[in-house]
Amino acid sequence: MLFECRNISFRYPDAEDYVFRDLMLKVTEPGLYGIFGPSGVGKTSFAKIVTGGIRDFSGDIRTEHLNIFLYSYNLERLPGWSSVRRHIDKITPLSKNGLKTELIEAFGIHGYLTSRFSKLSLGQQNRVNLIRYLLQDFDLLIMDESLANVDELTKEEIILKIKETFPMACFFYISHNVVEVSRFCKQIYVFRDAHKQPQIQIVKGLDFSRGQQVEKKDQEIAMLEIMNAS
Amino acid sequence: MLLRRIYQFLIIYLLGLFLLLVIKYALNLSDYVIPGPVEIWETCRETLPRYFSDVMDTLSVAIIGQFISIVLAISIGVIGRQATWFGSFVKVAAYNFQAYPIVAIAPIVFILLGDGFISRLLIAAMICYFPLLLSVVGIMSEPISDIEHFYRITGRMRWQLEVKIRAFENLSKLTTVIAGSATLAMAGTIVAEFIAANAGIGYSIRIALYQSNLSKILVALFTIGVSLSVYQGMLEMAGYMINKRWKG
Amino acid sequence: MGGKLIKLIYTLPAVILISLFIKTENGFAAQKSVQMNYRLKWLFNASVVGDLYADANGFFKTRGLDVTVKEGGPERDAIRELELGYAHFGVASADQVIRALSKGAPVVVIAQLFQINPLQWIHRTEKFNIQQIRDLKGKVIGVTYGGNDETIMRTLLAKEKIADNEVTLFSVRYDYTPFYQDKVDLWPVYRNSQGITIASKLRASGEEIGYVNPAELGVQFVANSIVTSKKMLMDHPEIVKTFIRALLAAWEESLDPANREKSLTLVGKFDKDTPRVHLEEQLAVTRSLVKPSLKIKIGSIDTQAWKQTERIMLDQKLIPERVHVERALKHYIR
Repeated sequence: MLFECRNISFRYPDAEDYVFRDLMLKVTEPGLYGIFGPSGVGKTSFAKIVTGGIRDFSGDIRTEHLNIFLYSYNLERLPGWSSVRRHIDKITPLSKNGLKTELIEAFGIHGYLTSRFSKLSLGQQNRVNLIRYLLQDFDLLIMDESLANVDELTKEEIILKIKETFPMACFFYISHNVVEVSRFCKQIYVFRDAHKQPQIQIVKGLDFSRGQQVEKKDQEIAMLEIMNAS
Repeated sequence: MLLRRIYQFLIIYLLGLFLLLVIKYALNLSDYVIPGPVEIWETCRETLPRYFSDVMDTLSVAIIGQFISIVLAISIGVIGRQATWFGSFVKVAAYNFQAYPIVAIAPIVFILLGDGFISRLLIAAMICYFPLLLSVVGIMSEPISDIEHFYRITGRMRWQLEVKIRAFENLSKLTTVIAGSATLAMAGTIVAEFIAANAGIGYSIRIALYQSNLSKILVALFTIGVSLSVYQGMLEMAGYMINKRWKG
Repeated sequence: MGGKLIKLIYTLPAVILISLFIKTENGFAAQKSVQMNYRLKWLFNASVVGDLYADANGFFKTRGLDVTVKEGGPERDAIRELELGYAHFGVASADQVIRALSKGAPVVVIAQLFQINPLQWIHRTEKFNIQQIRDLKGKVIGVTYGGNDETIMRTLLAKEKIADNEVTLFSVRYDYTPFYQDKVDLWPVYRNSQGITIASKLRASGEEIGYVNPAELGVQFVANSIVTSKKMLMDHPEIVKTFIRALLAAWEESLDPANREKSLTLVGKFDKDTPRVHLEEQLAVTRSLVKPSLKIKIGSIDTQAWKQTERIMLDQKLIPERVHVERALKHYIR
C-alpha cells in the first residue's frame, strides 16, 4: 500500500450536503491514476484534501513511502515580470537541469521560453505550468486538468514522457476526457455523488505506454465501464 | 498624458473663472466680492512668480510627504495583510489614527514640532497616507491564488515574493492610487500651511484672505492647479512606464 | 472642440440658476426690509456685548425691526454679504471697509464701535517699557503677516524710521507658546479678549505685563464699525436710522455699570469657555475701548482716525489710490 483514504467525509462550511461520505480509495503501486466524474462531484476537493488544502474533514489518509504531495491545476499562472525561461530557471534545482532540458523538449515549449507567460496560449501555459511541478521533488502529483487545451498528439507525448521519466512516482490525473483516462491510466477512480455508495467505483485502464498496441475494442470496453460507473 | 492633464485643468479653471465673471456682471457685483478680469490679470502679473515659488515650496514638501506616506502605507499594508492578531492590530490602529480630523491634530503637531518644515511634512504625509493604506491593505491581503499556489505548495513562498506578486498584479491600481494621493498630499500641505506654517502657498493664501484679496487667491489656485497637474501627469507617466517595463 | 462647446452650453443654465438665486435673495431682502440679518465680525463674546444685548432685550423688536444677529468668524466677511444680499447690516474692520471701497464696493459706515483699537501688543514690564516708538528697537515683535497688526507695526516703525534690521519681526499664528517662553518680546493681542487670558496666566506666574497701544504712539488705525450698503441707506433710510439707534442704545445700556451683572450673564450664556473672572475683565476693557470717556458717545465716527487709517494703507500700498473714506462715513451720532 502506498496511499489509502479511509472513511473520508467532508462538507463545506454552511453547506447542507456532503461532498464525500465515507470515501475509500487505495493505491498500492506507482503509476498514473485517473480521477473521473461529472463537475461538482468533488474531484478538486479530493485533491485539496490529499495535498493539505482542506483540513476540516473526517477520516484517515495513510501513506507509505510517499512524503511530498503536489497539486497542479489548469489556469495556474506564472508571474508576469519576467520570461518563462527565467521563471523556470529560478525554480529548478541545480540537480534537475538535465531533466529540465529534456522536459522542455518533450513538452514542445522550447520556441517560446523567452516570452512572458501571459503572451502564451492556454495550452502552452498549461504545459509550462506542469513542467514547473515536474521539476520539483515529489512522490505524488495531482494533475487537475493540467493538460487542458493541449492538442491530442502533444498531450499523448507528454503523458508518455511523464510515465517514462517518473516510473516510481504516483500521479492522480483529473480529467473529463474519458478517452485519455481510459487509455493512459492504470486505474480510473470514478467519483460519484455523495449519496451513492460506494462513492468511488474503480475501473481498470489500459495503462498505455510507448510501443504498446491498444485494441480498439479494449479501449471501448474501458470507456464503457467508466461511463457506466459514473 | 502630461499635456492632457494640463489642458484639462486649464479648461476647468477657465470655466470656473468664466462662471465667476458671469455672476459678477450678471449681479453687478463690485471687485471686492469678485475681482474683474483686469485686476485678476494685474495680480497675476505681480504675484505669479512669487506664488510659483511658494507653490514649488509646497509641492516639494508634498512630494516628500507623499513619499513618506507611500513607504509608511506599504510597510503597514504589508504587515497588516496577514490575517494574524498583529496584522489586524496594525490595521485597526492605522484606521483609528486616521479617524481624527487633521485640523484637530495639526495644531498639536505645530505646537510640538514648531511651524517649520517638519510639521508641514508630517501633516502632508498624514493626510495622504490613509487612502494609500486602504488600497495597499486591500491589495496585499487579497491572495492571487492562481500564481501563489505553486510557490506555496512547493514551500518556495517568501513574504517578499508574496508582496511582489500582489503588487505586480495590481500595478495599475497602485499607480492610480499613488497618482491620486498626490492631490491629497498637496491639499494636506496647503492645509498645514494655512493653519500655522510660515511658508508655502497655503501661507500666502492665508495672507491673501487677511487682505480680502480674492484675485490673489485665484492666482494661487491657478499655480496650485498647474503644478499639481504637472506632478500628477508625471506620476502617471512614471506609472505607465513602470507598467510597460515590468509587464513587458 | 464640439464636446467643449457642449460642456459650455451645459454650464450656462447653472450660471443663470446661481445668478437668479442670488438675485432673488437680494430682491427679497429689499422688499421685506423688516426681516434683516446683522452679521458680526467675530464670535459671540464680551467684545460684542452690545449686539447680544440688543437682540436679547428686544431693542430691535420694540422698534419694529426683525433682526437676526449672526455670529461672525475668520471666514465671514460682512461687506461681501451686504453686497450679495445675505446681510443688511454688519460689522467690519476699517481696513476691510477701505479695501472694499477701493474695489468699488457700495458700503457705508454708520457707526464706529471701538474708539480705541483693541489690537495692541502685550509685553512683560520687568523687561522693558515702551514709552516711545524708538523703544521698539532691538525687540522681537510678533506680527501676523498680512494682518492688521503688521500694517500698524510697520506704520509705527516707519514713523520713527526704524529699519527692518533694527527689530526682529516674528510670525505669529494662533499658538502663544513663543511668547510664554519669552522668545518674543511683544505679542499682538486683542486687548479685550485673548489679552486678558494671556495676562492672567503671566500674572499667575508672578510676571507683570503692559500693553503697547499704537494710538498712544500716534498711530490711529480704526477697528470695528457698523456698516450697511448704499442701497439700503438710499432705499430704507428710516430703517437704517432705527437700526443704528436701537443698536447703539443697547450698547450704551450693556456697558452701563448698573447693568454689569445682566450683561455678564448674557455674555456667559454664549461664551461658556471663558471663566467668569475673565469675562468681568473683558467687559471692563471693552467698555474702556468703546466708551473711553463720558463725553464720547458710543458709535461716534472719528473721521480723522479713518483718514489716518486710509493714509497708512495707502503708504503701505495696501490700496492703489485714495478712496476718500470720509465720504463713506455717515454720522448718525454727533
